[in-house]
Amino acid sequence: MATSSIRNELGVDIKQVLSRMGYGTAGVPSARIESLVREYADNICHLIEPSYSHVIRDINSVRGSRVFIEGSVTFRSNVVAGLLKRCQKVAVFVLSTGGRLGEVVRQLSGDGLMVQAAVLDAIGSDAAETLAHVVQDIIAREAEADGLGISQRFSPGYCDWRVSQQKMVFRAMGGDTAGVCLTDGCLMIPQKSISGIIGIGPRDRVESYNPCPTCEKRDCRGRR
Amino acid sequence: MAEDIISLIRENVIQGRVTRDDEGLDGGMVGQPGVTELTEKALATGIDVRDIINKGLTEGMKLMGQKFEEKAYYIPDMLSSAEAVGTAMKLLEPHLAQSGIKPKGKVLLATVKGDLHDIGKNIVTILLRGAGYTVKDLGNDMEPQSIVNAVREENPQFLGLSALLTSTMVNMRDTIQALEESGLRDKVKVIIGGAPVSEEYAKSIGADGYGSDGFQALAVIGSLTST
Repeated sequence: MATSSIRNELGVDIKQVLSRMGYGTAGVPSARIESLVREYADNICHLIEPSYSHVIRDINSVRGSRVFIEGSVTFRSNVVAGLLKRCQKVAVFVLSTGGRLGEVVRQLSGDGLMVQAAVLDAIGSDAAETLAHVVQDIIAREAEADGLGISQRFSPGYCDWRVSQQKMVFRAMGGDTAGVCLTDGCLMIPQKSISGIIGIGPRDRVESYNPCPTCEKRDCRGRR
Repeated sequence: MAEDIISLIRENVIQGRVTRDDEGLDGGMVGQPGVTELTEKALATGIDVRDIINKGLTEGMKLMGQKFEEKAYYIPDMLSSAEAVGTAMKLLEPHLAQSGIKPKGKVLLATVKGDLHDIGKNIVTILLRGAGYTVKDLGNDMEPQSIVNAVREENPQFLGLSALLTSTMVNMRDTIQALEESGLRDKVKVIIGGAPVSEEYAKSIGADGYGSDGFQALAVIGSLTST
């Protein structure tokens, strides 16, 4: 699905973009960097081609770290299994901001304009994250109609869920992957794309799920 | 006079000012000559190209690196400086040979098979060129055998491999194995970098070094150059 109305929802969060570029919450960007971010943020609309697709699948069973989903899909991860055994269904999604922005980033980078390339790349990442929030809200509304809640988003590469499991996420989509392709190395093309799952179940069981105690990545920046 | 120009080049590298139109890291510098104008002036004045590079550009980048390590400056600031150095090096390139300046070494850089991320690799390219190395960027999604062929043809001292995904970093190991199988492993030092890799991973796949960022990569290559 691709809509121009969604494009209008993808406002750029300047603070988030600066944070992605390494400034964190405390760093102060130079006047040049800040004005560059603002200039690109104001003019990025024509480079963003949002598309997304999601499906709701039944969870057949959870055994150990393996989750069996309808359509011969098996997710392997302790963290994902821990989440989905609390859920009744799972939403699987793929979304993308399109390939035009990436093309411009490559052109800038190839011309040696590294600052401009890095700024535009960070803005593209922010747009993809914002689109993920939009899709998450759509899934939340669908779950709410059934009196259910949703979990946080999980993507291959998070926690102990291997990037190679992208193949299973794409298989679960049943053919509609919003124009996003997967390479043999599990890289999504266009690059500013996100795939993943969201658990659907009773609010008190899914919304409170914290994966950190079951995850072995002790040095993870997102650890809670 | 010469020292003044070199000092200004150094300062403007730190400020990341390519031309007089740039406002600089601290702002308010529009209209003052940037690295481009200052390098042109240095050449016109007859300042030794060696001094422009060593005392101006390289020293400026070194100071930027220190500030970056101290977290006083950030990645975009470092990129601005690298951009300024890259522009100056293009202006100086025709003068290098006649000044008797030889490159410190030759480096091939590649993003490994299956991976298309190249911003990190491009940063390293600019930093190495600014530091006096000859760099050939092989591009992205490079098959191990294509990299082996390039090493055979170009005969570099260093090979830098980049990957951003855990699913593609394994192709660094495959590339090193392909170098071994072709009998070229001993001819080239291999340095790896990218978000998912580490010092431990570098050791485990038989790489000679690991750079956690552009400046680290430069430092590692520098230390391997002198061994």
